Amino acid sequence: MKNRLKVLRAERDWSQADLADRLEVSRQTINALETGKYDPSLPLAFKIARLFGQPIESIFQDEA
Amino acid sequence: MNLVSKSPKPRRHRLLQALVGAVVAAPLGYLFGGYLVSLEEAGAAVSVDLSWSDVLAVALAAMMALTGLITLLMSLSRRALGRQINPEEVRPATPAQAVFYAQNGFVLFLAGVMMATPVMVPLVFAPLSPMIASAAMAGLIALLLIQTAGNIAIWVRSDEFMRRAMGESAAISFAILQGLLFLWAAGEKLGLLPQLTLWDAASIMMAAYLVIGLFITWRRGLAS
Repeated sequence: MKNRLKVLRAERDWSQADLADRLEVSRQTINALETGKYDPSLPLAFKIARLFGQPIESIFQDEA
Repeated sequence: MNLVSKSPKPRRHRLLQALVGAVVAAPLGYLFGGYLVSLEEAGAAVSVDLSWSDVLAVALAAMMALTGLITLLMSLSRRALGRQINPEEVRPATPAQAVFYAQNGFVLFLAGVMMATPVMVPLVFAPLSPMIASAAMAGLIALLLIQTAGNIAIWVRSDEFMRRAMGESAAISFAILQGLLFLWAAGEKLGLLPQLTLWDAASIMMAAYLVIGLFITWRRGLAS
């Protein structure tokens, strides 16, 4: 699954650690999400969507 | 804009860590080897007869204990720990992160001690009396309980990604090892393969779990 996390984070001038603090996850989790090595659970995806004020489908896109 | 850049600095840090690890581990290995030789030379009462699984267990134990100790020591300095977990910026680790890494280091160190004990106790206390053996066994049970509590605490403190990595390591290890165990047991039953002791199996299981855990860590990008 593709996502726009890195772009959205950069627009806010947040580091991976900043975003991790806001989402209450580890920095490694943010890194894995951004590099496509991990797809978040639904609760975390909703949390990300709420944080950036955007619908989930505008942040995460199915590659299929 | 503050996109994460892959600067060469973390690579230098890792190289430095590898060098420090080698510098620390090599003399330890040398000292341990010297200790074994001295035991052998001490007399007929002391017989250093290590099987391949004993050597494997001690090597794994040394690796786990050393890595655990380094992690534990690093967690004492929030700045040093922060450099490790936030390589893209200067930011000290939070108290919660320091506790989390201290727990990880402690649990890994305990695992090393537990792995070495069944090999080292008969060497150090040769000839091994039933009382010493029982005391060592009681100590191992106590350490296992402490380590289990530590592992549960780590699981509770971990986020979903860390739990996924731990779950994957456990699931892949189980799938591979139960298949191999069955095949070996069948081969043994048919008289095609040599007998393994439970200690042989335990040493192989730990080695396989560590290798699989490292593979998952690399595949999921946990080390970056």
